[in-house]
Amino acid sequence: MAATPSKLVSLVEAAQAVASGASLTAGGFAHSHQPLAFTRELIRQGRSRLTLMSVAECWVAEFLAAAGMLEKVYFSNFMFEGYGRCQRFSKAVEAGAVAVEDHSHFGMVSRLMAAGLGLPFMPMKAMAGTDILAISGFEPPDRKARRMQSPFGHEVVTAVSPLRPDVAVIHAARADRLGNVQLFGTTSVIEEQARAAGTVIVTVEEIVDTDIIRRQPEMTLLPALMVDMVVHLPYGAHPTGVYGYYDHDSAHLADYYAASRTEPDTAVWLDRWAHGLPDHFDYLDALGMTRLLQLRVDPALGYLREASHG
Amino acid sequence: MAEVSRDEYMAVAASREIRDSDTAFIGTGLPMVAAYLAKATHAPRVNLVFESGIIDPRPVDLATGVGDYRLAHGSTKIAGTFYALSLLQQGKVDIGFLGTAEIDAYGNLNSTVIGPYHRPKVRLPGSGGANDIASMAKRFVVIARLDRKRFVEKVQYLTTPGFLTGPGAREAAGLPGAGPVRVISDRAILGFGPDSKRMRIERLYPGETLAAVQEHCAFPIEASPSLEAEPEPDAHLLRLLREVIDPKGVYVGRGER
Repeated sequence: MAATPSKLVSLVEAAQAVASGASLTAGGFAHSHQPLAFTRELIRQGRSRLTLMSVAECWVAEFLAAAGMLEKVYFSNFMFEGYGRCQRFSKAVEAGAVAVEDHSHFGMVSRLMAAGLGLPFMPMKAMAGTDILAISGFEPPDRKARRMQSPFGHEVVTAVSPLRPDVAVIHAARADRLGNVQLFGTTSVIEEQARAAGTVIVTVEEIVDTDIIRRQPEMTLLPALMVDMVVHLPYGAHPTGVYGYYDHDSAHLADYYAASRTEPDTAVWLDRWAHGLPDHFDYLDALGMTRLLQLRVDPALGYLREASHG
Repeated sequence: MAEVSRDEYMAVAASREIRDSDTAFIGTGLPMVAAYLAKATHAPRVNLVFESGIIDPRPVDLATGVGDYRLAHGSTKIAGTFYALSLLQQGKVDIGFLGTAEIDAYGNLNSTVIGPYHRPKVRLPGSGGANDIASMAKRFVVIARLDRKRFVEKVQYLTTPGFLTGPGAREAAGLPGAGPVRVISDRAILGFGPDSKRMRIERLYPGETLAAVQEHCAFPIEASPSLEAEPEPDAHLLRLLREVIDPKGVYVGRGER
């Protein structure tokens, strides 16, 4: 058999694709499928002046802000359901350390969609008449959006410009070595992010044979042609969850949330859970097998029956 | 039965806004409870859509948020965020529910900043799907506790459009939805004048007065000509809320009044 062009790389190598000053978009929604092992590796390696192009990857944004690695953020909403505001991210914005450009969810997704479809703009109907368009963050207002009359009638729409992140980082359920990626449950904005980005890195719970992918091709979210690198990272979304695998770790999230009230406590937390552990498998060892197994979901429900509410 | 809490009045009032066979766009918290209550009572055919991409769930356990797997279980479709939001733009969504940090007399909402945009005193979470729902759902309902810091003369940042500057402003901006129809508060149910588009008091909860509502609202607010008293919710609705939908009181507080 001919050698297959495997895209499997180490976490260290994949993270090196994100240079200081790069723009990044990341998968995930609420406490689900956020690429946090990748985020911790970026923090370990150290980066500066990153730009995020985000819809709902609140935990990625929070950890990058906590580590002082963010410069600019295009986004629509960051909050921790059941906990509250993202405290380090919010503080960084309040201190003027991170510049922001606000959107509605549909506005952000439409800008990524424009890039993903190779179009110079996307027409849409939300955001009109509000400060989202009237007050500029760091982007000149006429480069973000313009009012436009339909070429086919009198209807007025808002045209938004494309956003093209240098790198998309996505955590999914499983992939083969070629980069065919499957994810069960909600898929957030992953398809649009992958299409918009220059380089697509996918971290997964399991590496499977291509025959497994071919058995359920309808579950494939990204075909191999959309993917540049694959990293095998079981529990790679922890402390967020992955549908069908493990639930979010509410105790761990609560610990972070308590620590994130102050800068020194956040630094101690990051030292313990990112800087202080050489790699992802040391992180899993530090959590311990018991805790990891307790997060495994009920296979019939896809979630953990006993998980507490925040 | 225990006294009816303000949260319970709000959940029941919000659920009444949902009509049978509506497609409703639902967020975390009271709207989720209100939607389940509607589905369990007068609106069994309501279609629930969540911005996380989940459609028509049949959850066994109450979800902690719209991205929670408790909500994914038993749904009829799981899609992406773009798909769910595009239903709003296409005109498929009849009603949406929103919370807010600030609201003005025209029902405009702020969930972005307190203080100046570039160096805010408090950075809030941002629009998320709120602007999309308010811009494009056929109608929307705001759920907010009355407080002079929340019901303000002018929002510090206009995240989400109500009637903007007043009659005709939504149409001029090209917004397809009709705008806010109700504001469910913890003392009264508020609505909007059909011509003025300004907020007014439609129903008072037992023990509340027009003066008490005005005291907790920083802009002048008048009573609707058809002002009514909100009756205490049916025992059947309270039992559903307390024993079936939110037995742990996660979103609906108990007996605080």
